[in-house]
Amino acid sequence: MILIAFVLVSVLSLVIIAFARNHRQMNSVCIGQALIFTTLTAYLVVFQQVPVVSFLIDSQYFFIDHLGLFEVLIATLIFTCAAVYARGYVEGLLKSGELEKGSLKLFYVAWTLLLLVIVLAFISDNLALFWIFAELTTIISAMLIAILSARENIDAAIKYIFVASVSMLFTFAGFIFLFEMSRVSLGTGTLNWTVLMQHATTFPPGMMIASFALVFIGLAAKSGIFPFHTWLPEAHAKAPSAVSAILSGVLLNVGIYGIIRMYAITHQSTAVVTIAPMLTVFGVLTIGIAALSMLPQKNLKKLVAFSSVENMGILLVGLAISTPVSVFWVLFHIMAHSFTKASLFFSSGILHRQYRSRFVSDAADEIKDVFRLQPLAAWGIILGGLAIIGMPPFPLFFSEFFILLQLGTVSLWVLAAMLLLLFISAVALGYFVLMNFTSVSEPEAQTDIEQYRTPASMKVPIIFLLVLLLVIGIFLPSGITGFINQIVTELNF
Amino acid sequence: MIEQVTIEGIIRILFVCVIITAAYIISTRNLLSVVSVYALQSLTLVCIALALYFLEGSVVLLAIAGVTFISKVIIIPYFIATIQEKIRIKRDIEFHYLSPTTSLLISMILMLVIYMALSRIVVGSPSRENLFFFGAVLGISLMLMGMMVTFSRKRAITKVLGFLSMENGVLLFGMFVTELPFIIEFLIIIDLIILVILTTILSVGIDSTLEDYHKRLHRFHLLDDSEEVI
Repeated sequence: MILIAFVLVSVLSLVIIAFARNHRQMNSVCIGQALIFTTLTAYLVVFQQVPVVSFLIDSQYFFIDHLGLFEVLIATLIFTCAAVYARGYVEGLLKSGELEKGSLKLFYVAWTLLLLVIVLAFISDNLALFWIFAELTTIISAMLIAILSARENIDAAIKYIFVASVSMLFTFAGFIFLFEMSRVSLGTGTLNWTVLMQHATTFPPGMMIASFALVFIGLAAKSGIFPFHTWLPEAHAKAPSAVSAILSGVLLNVGIYGIIRMYAITHQSTAVVTIAPMLTVFGVLTIGIAALSMLPQKNLKKLVAFSSVENMGILLVGLAISTPVSVFWVLFHIMAHSFTKASLFFSSGILHRQYRSRFVSDAADEIKDVFRLQPLAAWGIILGGLAIIGMPPFPLFFSEFFILLQLGTVSLWVLAAMLLLLFISAVALGYFVLMNFTSVSEPEAQTDIEQYRTPASMKVPIIFLLVLLLVIGIFLPSGITGFINQIVTELNF
Repeated sequence: MIEQVTIEGIIRILFVCVIITAAYIISTRNLLSVVSVYALQSLTLVCIALALYFLEGSVVLLAIAGVTFISKVIIIPYFIATIQEKIRIKRDIEFHYLSPTTSLLISMILMLVIYMALSRIVVGSPSRENLFFFGAVLGISLMLMGMMVTFSRKRAITKVLGFLSMENGVLLFGMFVTELPFIIEFLIIIDLIILVILTTILSVGIDSTLEDYHKRLHRFHLLDDSEEVI
């Protein structure tokens, strides 16, 4: 039932968008859709017995377990915020002519479809089905990037499509291996995650390693892990900020989600002794590349995008430790990172509007008088920046702290390297803020910068997300921790 | 009924055809012939699927052959050829990192490496005939060769062809390693078609010369004339 509800709501939204005449109507539809999705998910979390058993769910194609529900909840929350944010932001894009009126409908159609496809990806039981939906997310989000009428956007979108799709084909080859393994040990081949989980102990380690490596290539590209991260800064920086928030906060999770699922299968077999060090190496390399690229970065959105790459690296390292505690904090990190990153992109979107005339694609941002012109966005960047580098009382502090603590029990050298790299990335963010936010123009020159009137709809999501983060960080609600604990047990770590 | 040995012989010959087409896609500079060679490669895959059907008798292979024929031999090449006529680019002489000769050399080395790696992996699993093992090696090699095309060509439209040839590799690999349910193959084709349409439309913007750029994008409702982007 719940699946049909998701699809029906989206189809209905598409129909209304097709008939809507102006931007406000279309946007309201998107907000409505995201809100309904969030309510449905919240209903599932609170009232339903998870894993949910109902029509079409729990067939061999779809199922809802704690991990899927957790990801869906994050996704729908961020989509709601982003839809509200888009109300003011897209209005601005239209006014400045960056987004053509004719593309508006396409934009919202893609937006609606993207939410549906992401939710379906998270609740697919069949890995091949998950693959298809993940591919669709790539295609649809590339449309959202390319929609701005600028050549560099099309460039970024094409790069994104090619890197992600080419790597996803390797993932598919990995699934073929997995299918063959299950056929050998079960009689009939299957790609059902639940079935694979039960029988993973019987899989031969050699094939398992090959399969994981192939699957990892594609999902790593989806989540921006070195050496497949090259598309990410371009795409995230060029996309409209409302879309960037979704790309960073939700779409990267699709890749990481797949890696977690696949790693959970691998964890059952003996292949894990080879795979875990591999993950660690990739994780540390990812953090390293991201931190070093952040250091000379002069473009705010690119800086934030590289910080996403860095966080994906942290997640990989946390996953590689593969103790229940570390997996718990990895999941916590996913949630906290999504919320923080979305709020950061929202804030930088406001700054982008304010200093748009001076933002020339890749050139350095020229930010002046930021506290006078856009106090909220400035504080959003500062607080969000503090959150993302893991300062207490923000929730990322706890997840990073405990992942590092767990890492200390495995290898002190890796811990030292990670600490250094995290410090570098923190310095990079701090340096950017110090250099740009302190520049104040001469009193007589102040009048020539026109203040961008930030609509309330662009401010509310930032405040909401920051408050949410503070609440999570300070109180660590037992509901969340209990829920994540159940995921860890389900994943069998 | 044809003898089994004959069919295996035919499949071997078709393997050689696949390798030749892949090599041609890597090395040629004429865009239109790349498209037709791609269609030829897909046709070879259709033949392989049919031959396998006679060998194994599973209906899925027949369905795969049918869908592949319709989508990859007819629809996609036709679509790309139409787009190519529109953007009037005949030759693709720009290469990113690799010249065709080096690419060919590298792909030979890749095939050897894959052969050795796969023979180590497959050792554990029960009897795989020689033919099937070769199919798997060829599938992955085709994937990697397609990937080289994708990353060494500059034009987006040739990148698409590289990607398509990669997908052929996955299909080949899937056919020889295991029997995938038909629905999965079908979904992949759908995904492929959407991707091809999107990327070709986008590449209209990238590949056309700068003067034509706005006009063409405007035709596809992607860009307003007033916007000036260089």
